[in-house]
Amino acid sequence: MDASARRKQLSAAIRRAAGGDRAALRLIYDETAAKLFGICLRILNDRSEAEDVLQEVYLAVWQKAGAFDETKASPITWLVAIARNRAIDRLRGSGLVRRAEPIEAAETVSDPAPLAEEMLVSSQQQARLASCLEELDERTAKAIRSAFIGGSTYEELARAWNVPLGTMKSLIRRGLAKLRACLER
Amino acid sequence: MSDSGTTGLEEHGALVAAEYVLGVLNAAERRAAERRIAEDSAFAAEVAFWEERLGGLAALVPPIAPPADAWARIEARLGGARPRPAQSGGLWQSLAFWRTLAIGASALAAACLAGLIYLAQAPGLEPPLVAKLDEGPGKSGFFAAANPSDGTLTIVPAVALTGEQQHALELWLIPAGDKPHSLGLIDPEKPIKVEIPAELRPYVTADSVLAVSVEPPGGSPTGQPTGPVIANGKLALL
Repeated sequence: MDASARRKQLSAAIRRAAGGDRAALRLIYDETAAKLFGICLRILNDRSEAEDVLQEVYLAVWQKAGAFDETKASPITWLVAIARNRAIDRLRGSGLVRRAEPIEAAETVSDPAPLAEEMLVSSQQQARLASCLEELDERTAKAIRSAFIGGSTYEELARAWNVPLGTMKSLIRRGLAKLRACLER
Repeated sequence: MSDSGTTGLEEHGALVAAEYVLGVLNAAERRAAERRIAEDSAFAAEVAFWEERLGGLAALVPPIAPPADAWARIEARLGGARPRPAQSGGLWQSLAFWRTLAIGASALAAACLAGLIYLAQAPGLEPPLVAKLDEGPGKSGFFAAANPSDGTLTIVPAVALTGEQQHALELWLIPAGDKPHSLGLIDPEKPIKVEIPAELRPYVTADSVLAVSVEPPGGSPTGQPTGPVIANGKLALL
């Protein structure tokens, strides 16, 4: 099954889950749990917290499935947003010490196609994001990737990169503005 | 922020929306952003834009298999909790769909409440109860006032709503720790006064909850809410 067919299948499963179909929730879980667990674990850096948040994520999916609008969001980005929000809220509320990754560790993407396949988003959309990030200077793009993946605050990023808070804020804010302009083109 | 003038993202809170999705805000700032999502549709659209576009970055995170018993734990926690049943397309699962005239909502709501209080108090020996039925945080859907003296309840849409013929709105009284009891259908376009059935009158008390659900024409076929609950709120003594 190609990415587009899997995306449609996942959207259909969310619709069925909204109607109370547990088998549909199970299907969503089977398709996405490893991805979402990876995301939670990366943010929380604590396996038992991540496991707990993962449960909350699928309970939230079960409760909120009726609000999913496939004309506005890809199923996977909708799920990723729920997982990241839960994990970030847990992180902020927990007092867990989470060190943002140093600048060297932030990933770069050269070929977006396989990632699009894995993420079930359109390869066009993924390519657009990659090319818009490439238009930023490398440091800015790294800061944005690192912030997204780690769910780190400005303060944590500034500490990890050993730059003043104001510098980190400016870097990311200018980057977001440029990214916004590019993504809209 | 000395640098905010340089980003070009200030309008409509676009910068905060981006920062919220990126995940760089602290806990208090996140709560403020979430309140704004509920109240400001332009801001919510901005958040949706970033979630959809930046979401692709999650591809950078390698998947990791969760523990084998994770699904069983989730399933156990589903318990009796059923999601709100999906309706055609899920479009009208919120009052926003019914709301066609976004006119000075808060002013009208305040006027409605004042009128209700007056209505409820006029003949009453027992103190009236009022409820604000919210659609979400800070978003009022209906105002209601119950007059225990004559067993009536008046409910008013907080903003001008428009009905549509395929669905009806049904009002429910939910006593603390009990299941919902129907108080009948209500009109999304204008205030309506309902007679509270005699057997339910003892439950018209503070801490009982009023809820409005979307139902098929003619009301719930099962005697329990079958469609999404679009607004609810607790009764309180005036």
